[in-house]
Amino acid sequence: MEPLISMGVLALIGAAATIAGASEDLESDVGSQSNANSQVQLAPQMGYVHRIYNKAIAGEPVSNGLMCTVGSTGALVLIQHFGFSPLFALVIGALIAAMVHGSYSVTAIMGREASQARFKQPIYLDLIRSHTPVIMAFAFLTTFSVEVVSYLLVTSLAHPFPFVLLSFLWGVVVGSVGSATGDVHLGAERQFQQQPFGEGLNASQSGNIVRKAESGLRNGIDNLWFCSKFGGPMTGVSFGMVVFLGTWIILVFDPAKSVAYGWLSNLLGLLIVTVLCIWNWHIEKETREKYGPFKEDKGEEVSA
Amino acid sequence: MIDLVGLIAPNILWIIAIIIGGTLISISVHFISVGGAPAAMAQATGIGTGTVMLAAGAGIAGIIAAGAVMDLNQNLGVVLGAGGVGAMVMLAATMIVATWIYAYGVGVMPVSAKVKYDPITKYRQDLYVSQGTEGHGIPTVAFVSSLLGGLLGGLGAALAYYALMKVGTYAYSGVIPLDVHNLDLVAVVATFTIGFFFINSVIPSYNIVGTIEGFHDPKFKRWPKAAVASFLASIPLGIVAVIAVGALAFVGGL
Amino acid sequence: MTEQKMIPPNTLMAVGAVGGLVCIYLAYFLSQANPIFVFFGALGAVFASIWGADAVRRIASYGLGTGVPSIGLLALGMGIIAVLFGLALDIGPAGPIVAFIVSCAIGAIIGIISKKVVGMTIPIMVSATTEIAGAGALLILGLSIVIAGSLDYGIVVKEVIRTGFIMMIYIAGGMAMLHPHNSNLGPDETQDRLLALSAEKAGIAVVLSGFASVAGMGAIAITVLIGIIIWYVYFGKYYALVKRDAYKVVDTGLLPTEEEMQ
Repeated sequence: MEPLISMGVLALIGAAATIAGASEDLESDVGSQSNANSQVQLAPQMGYVHRIYNKAIAGEPVSNGLMCTVGSTGALVLIQHFGFSPLFALVIGALIAAMVHGSYSVTAIMGREASQARFKQPIYLDLIRSHTPVIMAFAFLTTFSVEVVSYLLVTSLAHPFPFVLLSFLWGVVVGSVGSATGDVHLGAERQFQQQPFGEGLNASQSGNIVRKAESGLRNGIDNLWFCSKFGGPMTGVSFGMVVFLGTWIILVFDPAKSVAYGWLSNLLGLLIVTVLCIWNWHIEKETREKYGPFKEDKGEEVSA
Repeated sequence: MIDLVGLIAPNILWIIAIIIGGTLISISVHFISVGGAPAAMAQATGIGTGTVMLAAGAGIAGIIAAGAVMDLNQNLGVVLGAGGVGAMVMLAATMIVATWIYAYGVGVMPVSAKVKYDPITKYRQDLYVSQGTEGHGIPTVAFVSSLLGGLLGGLGAALAYYALMKVGTYAYSGVIPLDVHNLDLVAVVATFTIGFFFINSVIPSYNIVGTIEGFHDPKFKRWPKAAVASFLASIPLGIVAVIAVGALAFVGGL
Repeated sequence: MTEQKMIPPNTLMAVGAVGGLVCIYLAYFLSQANPIFVFFGALGAVFASIWGADAVRRIASYGLGTGVPSIGLLALGMGIIAVLFGLALDIGPAGPIVAFIVSCAIGAIIGIISKKVVGMTIPIMVSATTEIAGAGALLILGLSIVIAGSLDYGIVVKEVIRTGFIMMIYIAGGMAMLHPHNSNLGPDETQDRLLALSAEKAGIAVVLSGFASVAGMGAIAITVLIGIIIWYVYFGKYYALVKRDAYKVVDTGLLPTEEEMQ
């Protein structure tokens, strides 16, 4: 394909991936999935009964892998067996995935909270009714975007993997990225806003999550409101970078031309990685200087 | 019944490559700085997700890159490099954004609790650990360690992928050899590589038990156990995989 | 909840392994007469998933040191490799049973390695890993025959793997095994609720693979219908058990009062 058109397709893929990342993180914030959920799970045990959605479907990579695979399975069947146009099929596939995901979400919150009966955690049905559609909507967005990424990769950029398999793989990666980045904003900041800003969660405060909102009791949608301002978009940037940079280095130096080009694309990847590493070091230096240490230096008696 | 000897004999070298690949994946998991659930609460150093999941995410990015490159250029070095670099790019992009969130969203600096001085930057660590935590964020040493882990994991996955592709495209007696662009072959090999990758990333996570900061963590010394375990487990898996992929040449390129 | 009556592991193993294999063979032979009978494969997958979910429950209750999902992925990873091997041998009807045995063998090897080399202290490590590997293989076989309408290696490769539907089997089947334990985690978890949930999730996997089937409209219709019935029945059963086990199920309300929490 013409390099220019490939770049255009890649830009579209990058944009879709950014949406997928953002909606993936927000989906997990509404239901407090993944690692931040460990505190929601712990809270009733510490006596803090709450009204927050406890969606423990599985790890985020697995549950996102599931919905992306289900979505693209549905889409592929509609394209192959029923002759649907791809765009329409991708939308219906994503709809099927959202419905399946909704069913998983409902059984997850019911199961977890029923297993906490001795801590007197009630199951609030209105919570399930109001949050599940939101979760499904974000699941739809994530699935559709990942399907677009995979479909374009297969049809326009000639990736050899099957469409469904590629959706599964990107689904796992988007879950992996989302649980590593955006969830920190929910887990370390939003769930513990009553703790001082600018330090990690003291282990003695584990389970003491914020349970009251500006008015009334806090729920997952309140958390979504907060996380959509920083954690969610950042996750989008992260997954967008993963998809875009990973594909871009192969497009710029096409390994099909020669072995030397293949090595150049690898070197370009290494260069990107090095730049990001230096950037990380720079942020480390900057934050150490600006935020300062938590403890005084008492000579050698303080040890790690 | 297919000819097992005729399938295995010419592919001994590739079985060894698969075993090495499995061992590399297993070692790589120890390098990746994973803080598990506590890291999501800025309560432990590392990336805030589970060992298997992060290793899988990185390795899969490597498999996607290696698969794309293998279709374009069958040079061993280029394919392995693409796998390693693909996994590294995924980890680097994830970690830099995680650092933004730790630094600007949570307001903590990256710091390790396992060492007093960062072995790379020589920064003092213990004073910067906030009270009641085991460190937070991704300091330079953990970042570099994770990148090494990504490199090894991607290399291992790409090596297994490359070996199985070679097994599939070998010219067995009496059959027309499959083409490297054959979609059946690519799909079977990719499926196998993914299953193989998951098995070999779960074994080391049993060895790590929870969290690990990287090569400076005392837990890192346990890696030989997982490497031996994955080495042993990869032997039967490699043989079984070679037979199943090789048999594809006999049922034909369909 | 020790007073709860539990189904012993051996009963479930027998139901899962024997029931699963019998159903897969029924599908294997009867589908040659009429492709509609592939739905037996789906039933076999449901049996296997219940067995696998119970095995995951037993092993994960010891604390693996890593997330529950990893063991489900491990199970299906072993299953996929063994199934492709068993079918690739091209030994006709012996293929599925060979795949099942090879999968159990790989599971046992990995269990022994985790115990002896890695040094895990879980007493049931070897037996449970063997069981989940066997259940994983049966799940893949059962759902593969639903999609491909046959267990011939060439056809399975063309219809299940080349299309990528194998990944849907991998993840939806794996979830039917690992999701019940993961989402029922807690001190008041009960076995019957967990197993009902496993059947419900297997129902979803059956619907999806029935939808993707190439065995003709009749097979698609009947498999999807069976899947929906399984899903509906077990969702109802699960919800009833949730209501039984939960502290209380309320339409809406505030947090329990101070006195209530005492």
